[in-house]
Amino acid sequence: VTRPNDFRLQQGTVVDHLPVGTAVRALELLGLPRQGPVTVGINVPSARMGRKDIVRVEGLVLRKEELDRLALLGNQITVNIVRGGEVAQKVVLEVPPRLVGILRCPNPTCVTNHERVPTIFDRQGAYPHRFKCLFCERVTAGS
Amino acid sequence: MADAHAPAKNPFHGRSVVSADDFGRDDVLYLLDAARAFERHGLPAAHPPHAEPQRGRVLGLLFFEPSTRTRLSFESAMLRLGGSCLGFADAKMSSTVKGETLADTIRVTASYCDAVVLRHPMEGAARLAAQVAGIPVINGGDGSNQHPTQTFLDLYTIRKATGRLDGLKIGFMGDLRYGRTVHSLASMLLHFDVELRFVGPESLRLPEELRETIRRAGRLGAEVQTLEDVGPVDVLYVTRIQKERFPDPLDYEKVKSAYRIDRAAVDRFGPALKILHPLPRVNEVDPDVDTHPGALYFEQARNGVTVRMALLDRIFSGAGP
Repeated sequence: VTRPNDFRLQQGTVVDHLPVGTAVRALELLGLPRQGPVTVGINVPSARMGRKDIVRVEGLVLRKEELDRLALLGNQITVNIVRGGEVAQKVVLEVPPRLVGILRCPNPTCVTNHERVPTIFDRQGAYPHRFKCLFCERVTAGS
Repeated sequence: MADAHAPAKNPFHGRSVVSADDFGRDDVLYLLDAARAFERHGLPAAHPPHAEPQRGRVLGLLFFEPSTRTRLSFESAMLRLGGSCLGFADAKMSSTVKGETLADTIRVTASYCDAVVLRHPMEGAARLAAQVAGIPVINGGDGSNQHPTQTFLDLYTIRKATGRLDGLKIGFMGDLRYGRTVHSLASMLLHFDVELRFVGPESLRLPEELRETIRRAGRLGAEVQTLEDVGPVDVLYVTRIQKERFPDPLDYEKVKSAYRIDRAAVDRFGPALKILHPLPRVNEVDPDVDTHPGALYFEQARNGVTVRMALLDRIFSGAGP
């Protein structure tokens, strides 16, 4: 049986501790595969979570905005940046207090759905967070 | 009055007024105190009489949706301060019909004015306008979201009539779910030591978020479906239940008479009860309530001019007290 860890990354990013069922969504959010081999593990055993999803991308370093989008998929998703086959940096993702241009407002009469303006949502409460649209002030689950 | 406060600094100087949530207790009390200075013998007036503190200023009234009292009371307020108004009262009169974006309309009209009042059917329109205008924007109602100056004048009316905002039991009756005046006023009252009680049909209960906020703040009194069950209240804030909120017209017919007050209903609360309504009323307040000593809704409308005078004056005036 091939375990995900058998594919050693040389250069790239591992998005780990994704909740089961979110790997495909993560690929969508990151627009993958846009480059390099992408390895996806779904429903993989995890000491911390029991089961988890995992996405590994050769040669890709994620931008801040991409990390912010990924953070919405779960609690304490881990991003490992790998250089020369070693984990050079480990980041536990946290949803930023303000999300700019990331979520779409579900309120059809919100001005952000009619004018060309980046949405702005403020995070509320602990995980699972809710998000308040700065414009129409509606609160959404943000998923 | 009873509230001890009064920040020395003018918190409204040069500031947009988009949402009641942007303002705290001290801001509100500052404005209500300022509004008192614009009232002579119960009527809105500049002080000293015939003074024109905002002479030469121009207020833009950009009303993309019909409004009578908000638009006219802002106009009256600005004229009484010695300033002038321009604008439109119908989206058809604006360049929107030519396909111009709201942001562009605001950018252009803002260059003709010192501040604008905006009413728009889309929620968040005033927040967007405030981002692009470069001058203060006052939200005169953005869809079903906010109407902060209505909240300020409601608070002014309550304090003027009862002498305080702390220590009151305030009942809300009618459309608790969609009524933006209810939401804004209830949220703003959380800055004060009040108990909030709610009367309305099951289908028009408070939105869960707001209910939870009120409950967590320890301010949630009763939630009942009939006025008889609401218990003692000092203030009763009545709102209209709109027919269009009911998919089935029969359901509307059932609730419309149940959430209607007449003289007998209000007399049970005693003569000290204060009755407010943001108007227009349709049939939820019987005209025989008008002679009740606590029927304040017409005074409430008049206070709209006083409070808007104070707000405009404080926005235009210096950062000092």
